[in-house]
Amino acid sequence: MSEDFSPNPKKWLAIGVVGLTISFVGFFVDTQLAVWSYLIGLIFITSIAVGMLFLVMIHHIFDAEWSVIVRRQAEHYISALPYMGFLFIPLFIITYMGKDQGILWLWMNQDAPLHGHGTVSTDILYQKKTWWLSETFFWARAFFCFAVWTYFARAFRKNSFTQDQDGSPNHTFSSRKHAAAGLILVALTWTSAAFDWIMGLEYHWFSTMFGVWIFASAMRAALSVMLLTCAFLVAKGPLKGILNTKHLHDVATLAFAFTVFWAYISFSQYFLIWNANIPEETFWFNDREKGIWWPISMILIFGYFLFPFLYMLQFPLKTNFKSMTFMATWVLGLNLLDVFFNVLPSLKDSHGEPFQLFSSFHNIIWYISGVAGAGGVLLWAYWSSFLKTKIIPIRDPRIRDCLNHNH
Amino acid sequence: MGSSNPILDEVKPAILKEVDPVDIPRPALVENNRSFSWITDKICGIVEEKTPTWWWVCFIIACAGASFTVMGLVYLVATGTGVWGLANPANWGWAIVNFVFWIGIGHAGTLISAILCLLRQKWRTSINRAAEAMTIFAVVCAGIFPVFHVGRVWMAWFLFPIPNANAIWPNFRSALLWDVFAVSTYGTVSVLFWYVGLIPDLASVRDRAKNKIRQVLYGIFAMGWRGSNRQWSNYEMCYLLLAGLSTPLVLSVHTIVSFDFAISLLPGWHTTIFPPYFVAGAIFSGFGMVLTLMLPLRAIYRLEDLITQYHIDCMTKIILATGTMVGYAYGMEFFIAAYGANDFEIFAFVNRAFGNYAWAYWIMISCNVISPQFFWFKKIRENTALVWIITIFVNIGMWFERFVIAVTTLTRDFVPSSWGYYSPTIIDIFTYLGTFGLFSVLFLLFLRFLPLMAMAEIKVVTPQADPHNH
Amino acid sequence: MANQHGIIAKFDTPAGIMHAAEKVRDAGYKNWDVITPFPIHGMDPAMGIKRSLVGRFTIVGGTIGLTTGMLMIWFTGASELSLPYMDGYKLIVGGKPYFSPQFAFPVSYELTILFSAFASIGGMFILNKLPRHHHPVLKYKDVAASSDDKFFLYIQNEDPQFDGEKTRSFLKNLGPVEVGELEE
Repeated sequence: MSEDFSPNPKKWLAIGVVGLTISFVGFFVDTQLAVWSYLIGLIFITSIAVGMLFLVMIHHIFDAEWSVIVRRQAEHYISALPYMGFLFIPLFIITYMGKDQGILWLWMNQDAPLHGHGTVSTDILYQKKTWWLSETFFWARAFFCFAVWTYFARAFRKNSFTQDQDGSPNHTFSSRKHAAAGLILVALTWTSAAFDWIMGLEYHWFSTMFGVWIFASAMRAALSVMLLTCAFLVAKGPLKGILNTKHLHDVATLAFAFTVFWAYISFSQYFLIWNANIPEETFWFNDREKGIWWPISMILIFGYFLFPFLYMLQFPLKTNFKSMTFMATWVLGLNLLDVFFNVLPSLKDSHGEPFQLFSSFHNIIWYISGVAGAGGVLLWAYWSSFLKTKIIPIRDPRIRDCLNHNH
Repeated sequence: MGSSNPILDEVKPAILKEVDPVDIPRPALVENNRSFSWITDKICGIVEEKTPTWWWVCFIIACAGASFTVMGLVYLVATGTGVWGLANPANWGWAIVNFVFWIGIGHAGTLISAILCLLRQKWRTSINRAAEAMTIFAVVCAGIFPVFHVGRVWMAWFLFPIPNANAIWPNFRSALLWDVFAVSTYGTVSVLFWYVGLIPDLASVRDRAKNKIRQVLYGIFAMGWRGSNRQWSNYEMCYLLLAGLSTPLVLSVHTIVSFDFAISLLPGWHTTIFPPYFVAGAIFSGFGMVLTLMLPLRAIYRLEDLITQYHIDCMTKIILATGTMVGYAYGMEFFIAAYGANDFEIFAFVNRAFGNYAWAYWIMISCNVISPQFFWFKKIRENTALVWIITIFVNIGMWFERFVIAVTTLTRDFVPSSWGYYSPTIIDIFTYLGTFGLFSVLFLLFLRFLPLMAMAEIKVVTPQADPHNH
Repeated sequence: MANQHGIIAKFDTPAGIMHAAEKVRDAGYKNWDVITPFPIHGMDPAMGIKRSLVGRFTIVGGTIGLTTGMLMIWFTGASELSLPYMDGYKLIVGGKPYFSPQFAFPVSYELTILFSAFASIGGMFILNKLPRHHHPVLKYKDVAASSDDKFFLYIQNEDPQFDGEKTRSFLKNLGPVEVGELEE
């Protein structure tokens, strides 16, 4: 590893703590929005970490060779998963024991008024969903999700890092088996998380596709972060001369593939609801056509799909670290906007109208602190893990093929 | 070897000295170290040898089978679509089921040739040619059902936006018209893709031809291919682009097929997960069919060196993966039906599992979700006979999936007074079973006249093709 | 004797032809090519061939396809234009708008792919100048082996650097199995 490069994880922890502190202050100043922003930050950052977990599992299941170097970076990121679980605890306290339990997931407050028709407890749709929408069950599910993710994250990390030391092939075989089981379990838990944390914000609404959609979204976020990580590590030295433009091209191609996949899933979901035109489903999209959400949905179509699609179609741009740094930053930014688009319009004012992104200028403080809090923790976890291990898995069975991977 | 990476030579970070990979060799894609000419001889030999007796036997049986479809269709055209078991409330029956079944079968061919090409899965080379042929023949079989379902089949051209005397345009808001475009595009692009892949191999057959007729015929279709690298360069780019185009195409085709159901307002059909769920199911059934076809061929032509245990492992694992995805979708449907709290939706799903057609539902579940789980076990993946039997179950299961979707919903619509029970007629059954004959006829002809495997591509994945391998 | 087209050399291994190609490239020849039974990985840079241009055709085809689809659906459903032999007219179906990109998308999408595929294959044939059944290489006595397991390299006499004897001995020095004449 390059000597003059010494990352300081504590710096990131400090940023995380500042973010969390501001969110904490926000809880007393602008309670509802601060909590929602905190949730947005948490979902966004967790989706990156879960996406990384998927990347590790996909690598193992395909016995891929080009992605060995890249996988090591993903292994650092997934160390953040248990911390994300800890960051959910405040939400648990607020909604399980707090005064206003329906502050995030409206259904958690039986007495919350519904615009136009009574309260949650008198709502026929709620009554029919109580088997799933039960608070204890909800938090048990969240706990289970994090337990599963943490288990798999630890297993892959342990296998990979121990192999660096002892060079035993059994770690690779163990990872492959974990990947097969993990893909099923993580897919199910991530679906359940998507249903609970995001779809449940608007508990009247339902879509079978939703889990797949959020999966696609997580993959895009993770791949963007991966591209940025690669570009950063090459620029700063540690991966210079190891990770070449062919590796970059492959990660970029995956990012491109998931751009298309995301578009496919979003279009199919939107289109089926648009075409059937059933009010029970369309209201979710209608809310997202009101006020600023309309231009934002256009930005998502053209900026989050079309522009990256056309950009990443081009071979020269996919093989250039600078141009992919730009695109990854762009996609990551819009991925966050997409999380906002998914989450925030579910927050309703007293007239049942969706919350507007910039209803007040200081909203942005809570948005930033929410993302910075969880984001700081993620990067702290990443760099802490980074410092403890080799920069590449030196004993991996495919490492030599990966290093020789070229155009 | 190391000198092939200019960037490494420049910098050589210290960590690279520590690199010491664990030895887990990759399985060979061509076993017993076969030479280039062995591959050419083996595959061209199948086309060049005297027609074997078993081929004639199969061909005659297949023709006899296909004649059932022909008779069924002639009877239908002469009489009317009423000869099929379609009656209120089930106005979609076996026709749509068979259509979706066959289209789905085709998808594995495109998946192998396109998606696996993009994913650089080299094991595809031994099976892609036959799988693509299967795609085309499956599309042919699929096309029969909707075309004849229009009733007056001679008016089928109304489906296309051809300026005509009546100035009647097709209805572009209808999913059935999207199907017309999707399936005809799919058929066309699959043929083109297949043909482009065939060109270098046709040149091989041409170059080996012993008589003038073969030389001229294969020569014409080989387009004068001479394997020049300036041509290979464009050719490979074209092939890659076609793979890149076929991938979204294959997804879109079954997506649009799923739209046939999903854009409606019917419980059990209107579900947003339908597009990826149909695609996963299509790939699942297609891989089932690829194995159903390739395992006997492997035995007959002694192709064990080219279709190795590793190939079978890969395919069975894909079946396992897609079968599990389909299981995920079944689960989501049930979950959202319950969670969505719509009484009709809940009824539709309870009725699927416990209603009139529960038998079909449980056949579907056991074939599609349970039977592939056997592929978790290495012992079973290595037992060719068992693999073959399971793939048959996969095919059966996927047919029943479409049957369950189409029929359970239609026979139990919103008004109980119109509920009914749908049964196929003998004509339905004959027409459908006959398509297997038709499919076999086409496939047998393919076996006889075209190289069964992509020779040029198989040569690429052998170790001796690597120019750095001395 | 017929006119000479060039000189051809035969090689046994991919490595052999690859090194030969690198040397021919470095010697500065322009009108030359290698004939191989399969695409050899890394041959393009060894020959100094740039990335293929087939993609340009694809983009054009795709754009035309998408535009055609959208225009066709708009014309038939939402316009009242009168063109020779065809008229657009408005008709409400299923409570849907006369035109909307949503329902026009599936068909336009398929046409995008269809036209792109046609353009890619057409582009490949145009760039490769195929079909062509009378290329001098195809007349070479031994060339049938090039679609089996042998590798050939030839330099055309049109090449500005071509010089009968010198080129022949240059090729001989590259380690071929044999060197022969290509006839026009």
